[in-house]
Amino acid sequence: MEKTLFEKYGGFSTVSKIVMDLYDTLLDDDDVGPFFDDVDMPRLIDHQTKFVASLMGGPASFTDTHIQRAHHNLDIAPVHFDRLKEIIEGTLEKFEVEREDIETVLGAFESRRKLLLGD
Amino acid sequence: MTIEAINEQLLRAIGVGVALADLDTLELKFRNDTFIDWFGGPEASLRLGDLFPSLDLEALSGEMENGGTFTAEASFKLKRRRMTVAMDFTRAGNSTERIAVLVCQNITRIKELESMIDSYSMMVERNTHEIKREKEQVEKLLLNMMPRSAYEEYKSFGVVAPRIFESVSVLTLDFENFDKILESNDPAVIVSELNDIYTAFDRIGEQFGCERVRTNGDSYFAVSGVPDPVLNHAESVANAAVRFLRYLARRNESHPIRWEARLGLASGPVVGSVVGVQRYIYDVFGPAVERASKTRARAPGMAIVADASIRDLLDTRFTLTALPPARVRPEPQGGLYLLEEASQSEAHGAL
Repeated sequence: MEKTLFEKYGGFSTVSKIVMDLYDTLLDDDDVGPFFDDVDMPRLIDHQTKFVASLMGGPASFTDTHIQRAHHNLDIAPVHFDRLKEIIEGTLEKFEVEREDIETVLGAFESRRKLLLGD
Repeated sequence: MTIEAINEQLLRAIGVGVALADLDTLELKFRNDTFIDWFGGPEASLRLGDLFPSLDLEALSGEMENGGTFTAEASFKLKRRRMTVAMDFTRAGNSTERIAVLVCQNITRIKELESMIDSYSMMVERNTHEIKREKEQVEKLLLNMMPRSAYEEYKSFGVVAPRIFESVSVLTLDFENFDKILESNDPAVIVSELNDIYTAFDRIGEQFGCERVRTNGDSYFAVSGVPDPVLNHAESVANAAVRFLRYLARRNESHPIRWEARLGLASGPVVGSVVGVQRYIYDVFGPAVERASKTRARAPGMAIVADASIRDLLDTRFTLTALPPARVRPEPQGGLYLLEEASQSEAHGAL
């Protein structure tokens, strides 16, 4: 069986660092940060952990319905989505994820654009 | 720069929040830079009760009175981030001034990591649970294809070595006029009927110590004594055979399709093994299987024919009537016998 990116980059030990870095960057970012103003820390961490784990093929998976439901009452504009994409790219670069793999992750993320932005 | 000035600089710049609390007024007197970063500068209240609403002031005062230390945790928001600090109050040495030193360690990261570990372990637990469930399903499927002992061997060694079973009994069955039944009925109906019948056979067989090896269209093949030895294997298949017919006769009374089974029984050695590399099937073959199939071919509808190999292994609970030799085919040595269950009185009388 082919290794998932999750396994390739060292499993939870690396993913945990990516999650923490992403969490720091997101909260400090003035475009996407405000979405997390009223989200409690454990919930947000839980969300980020599952988000990164699922993007990298780890032990979490979200159905499209689940993603849609989790975001449907948020007013997400294309600029927010693009910004988050940039942040993910930056974080993965920081952890020396290979370009090809970054593209894979971003591709997986991009394919959910419609689910987050609504119609 | 004096030592005092250096000390103060250090105290201000350190990454730990430090403040001095007046225990009489419960207000802060000194706050270092980190403390101010977290809890606000001149604009912020200096009252402990305002800054830390969850702090138990009475307990704090009590502990300070006794010259002890007091610890607590406090959470607050810094921009969007929920920060958590571990607070540590220590009574300062001077007895004339009632002052405590408050040290706040930033444990936000620890809390965040704890949350992440919680989240991750829940994911892993759920996955482990799912894997376990899948494993059970695979095991169930494999146990449908092979006996448990063969499965255990397969699991440990990756292969199942062929084994000879010297003395077992075989039951084979097919249906008279199966072609005609096929022609005149919907295939789905036939499959569902066969499913019904084979399930009943499996249940009856299990009751008498027979295990189904396989079915192939209208043929059903079971064995007693593989892989676990059965002392009275001949009796097992004979008993099962008689009840198969009884079940079918009763079923035929209320169903449009009449299933007329022909059964062949034989005893002898067989080989049991898993056959195939990609598609594992536990199979049983050998002289007893051959004989049972040939015997079945001679059975009229709704009748059981027993090979001579099984005849001597059965007691008077079954009556065996010699079949007249076939005209076209050579008869197996020892002849063939029509098998029926002896009526209660006959069996009793014979004992």
